[in-house]
Amino acid sequence: MRVPDRIQTVLERLVGASATERILISTAALVLSILVGAVLVLVAGRMTTCTASEAVYYFGTGFCYDPVVVFDRLFLGALGDPFSGGWSPDGQFSVTLRETTLLLFTGLSVALAFRAGIFNIGTQGQMVVGGMATALLVLWASSLVSGVVGTFLLVPFGVLVGAVFGGLYGAIPGLLKAYADANEVITTIMLNFIATGITLYLVSGAFKDPNSAANQTVPLPDYAQFPTVLFGGRQDFSLVALAFGVVAVGALYYLLEHTAFGYDVRTSGIQPDAAEYGGVDAARTIVASLTLSGALGGVAGAMYVMMILGSFQSGVPSYGFDGITVSILAGNNPLGVGFAALLFGVLKSGTTVVQFATDVPPQLVGVLRGLIILFVAMPEFFRLVGKRVTDTGSKVVATDGGTPGGEADE
Amino acid sequence: MSEASEETEPASETEFLERYSMRVMTAGVTVAAVLALLVGGWLFPDTIVGTFADVISSENTLSAALRLSVPIAFAALGGIFSEKSGVINIGLEGLLIISAFTAIYVTEVTGGVWIGFGGGVLASTLLALLFAIVTIEFRADQIIAGLAVWLIALGLAPFASQVIYGGPNTPTVPTPGAISVPVLADIPFFGALFSASPSVYLLFVAVGLSWYVFERTTFGRWVRASGENPKALDTAGVSVARVRYAAVLLSGVLAGMGGSALSLDLGQFTGNGPTMVNGKGFIAIVAYLFGNYNPIGAFLSTMLFAGLDAMQTVLQLQGIGIPRQLIRITPFVVVIIVLALVGRTRIPEAAGEHYESGEE
Repeated sequence: MRVPDRIQTVLERLVGASATERILISTAALVLSILVGAVLVLVAGRMTTCTASEAVYYFGTGFCYDPVVVFDRLFLGALGDPFSGGWSPDGQFSVTLRETTLLLFTGLSVALAFRAGIFNIGTQGQMVVGGMATALLVLWASSLVSGVVGTFLLVPFGVLVGAVFGGLYGAIPGLLKAYADANEVITTIMLNFIATGITLYLVSGAFKDPNSAANQTVPLPDYAQFPTVLFGGRQDFSLVALAFGVVAVGALYYLLEHTAFGYDVRTSGIQPDAAEYGGVDAARTIVASLTLSGALGGVAGAMYVMMILGSFQSGVPSYGFDGITVSILAGNNPLGVGFAALLFGVLKSGTTVVQFATDVPPQLVGVLRGLIILFVAMPEFFRLVGKRVTDTGSKVVATDGGTPGGEADE
Repeated sequence: MSEASEETEPASETEFLERYSMRVMTAGVTVAAVLALLVGGWLFPDTIVGTFADVISSENTLSAALRLSVPIAFAALGGIFSEKSGVINIGLEGLLIISAFTAIYVTEVTGGVWIGFGGGVLASTLLALLFAIVTIEFRADQIIAGLAVWLIALGLAPFASQVIYGGPNTPTVPTPGAISVPVLADIPFFGALFSASPSVYLLFVAVGLSWYVFERTTFGRWVRASGENPKALDTAGVSVARVRYAAVLLSGVLAGMGGSALSLDLGQFTGNGPTMVNGKGFIAIVAYLFGNYNPIGAFLSTMLFAGLDAMQTVLQLQGIGIPRQLIRITPFVVVIIVLALVGRTRIPEAAGEHYESGEE
């Protein structure tokens, strides 16, 4: 069989056969994670103390935390309580969209690398570096222009700066993998620690805002930040930034599915040996994908600085790690990233609502993040469960051995 | 991960030699640098070189390096068993986190340091069991499942701490005192080897035992076969799945000992940001790669990283001109440099792949 033919069949089978199945598996993983999360909330509720009147009772036992309330707040609270009247676009819903915007970029960043067969765990670090560079260079440029013209020039400039610096930082593990055979999982994780260390050094020293106790840069003027459209802006959300994100989803989809570069990336991800045999420059593809992946992470950093904080501060929230979840949940498909980012935006935004409404620690969402990844990673589990449910009449498959499910290993 | 595996024999042979000599060279350069610093410091005691030499040759640095290497080396030993059996365990970091927290929690509840130590080991082993089931039984991608293990522990430990103690940091518990071997502890410099926390001695024992199990026992041979040529092992009538379960569980036990020792030696678990484990599990992976899956090699390369970490701590205390935040990242930078020099160590042939018994 000729190599290009083989690639074609593999691709077709992966794309065609698994699209519906992927969605089913992701949904099942999500539901299962929430169930496990609910049990965890109940168990945690037994381990802490509260007065008898605060407790809720299930199965005749008292618990300090009520999982129903927790998940009600987590989901409905994040949407700004659409069923209880008084919904306003400037409420919690815009926080959800704000988180979604950032997760779109970090999710796309991870997804692109994954499609090339590369585990980019370093989106967090690329975001930190991109954000820091944006804060410093936009601050410098903001003295040159001002007003509406300033916004039109500075915002795209800032996004570009984030992309360039994030991209350069992403190129480091790319070069190390392509030319020194260094495992990218380890190098990107190390580069996360290094990015945090270096930016902390810069922001607590040379570039520290002298008027602030926190380790942060001098705040950007208002005209150098994302303008607020429709939404009031009280929650630091800009529709313009979200639009950027939606465009990025479409652009990456087009790039992966309809360009020669995208074809190289996908084949390298599925069949690296065959791709190279078929004429793909493996080293160049690795460096290019990680650079582009880093650029997307860097844009997330730029958004974080120009939309949310208005400056760069040490201790950037873990959008990069959440991007891993978003991408895995989306089956590394750019369009899927759109939905998964919204869903995870709800989770992130809902966390603050939960924190206000209950005593349940906000780290719960961190646990859910891990559980979702774990469950999505084991499609075989859901296939087994699915088989059990559907062919109850026929012979039940053995738990080990037996015939393989007929799906290619991913 | 399907790596190029159709290389011809001679090619992989020369590659092996190249890699091998690169490793020897790196080790040689390190030793030479240390010696040069020592000689330089002896010649010019009042310069920065002199200060470095003082720091390197100080007994405190050696004992700090030993203390710091405990969690990394234990995790590295665990990683060797797991990866050699064909399951890449990138979740070592998570195993360290969960055991570090549980050890403190159990100690605080029961009042017994060693019971707490056991509790930490148990927690880590259970999490490793989950990882084993997911990867061996349900054929999950090992890297993604390993990441999940890390992220679950990263969320769960501070979550539990918050629920139980109302903050990400636990209260302090009594630490196990240092054990001092009479006479030997008085030897200059090397005395640090004989006056240390019990966990350091435990580590020495674990390194020796791991080496013995690997090189001299049937189980060690099975583990290696399970990673290199599972089919042959299967044909010989040994269950590949069972060997892999045993190896992954063993990695949970070993990493659990490292995590428990980490928090119990300090008497507290701190869960802010990346928690007190702070990347030690990932450094452990590099340590065993650099040590070429040899328990003793892994321990020595751990000492290299931990030694650097110990030096940066001592340098910070002495207020050397380099800023604290930058000194802190040196171990991470060194990891990348080492990885770039050593490159891809020849990972076990079947590592990362699911093995289906009776297939084909």
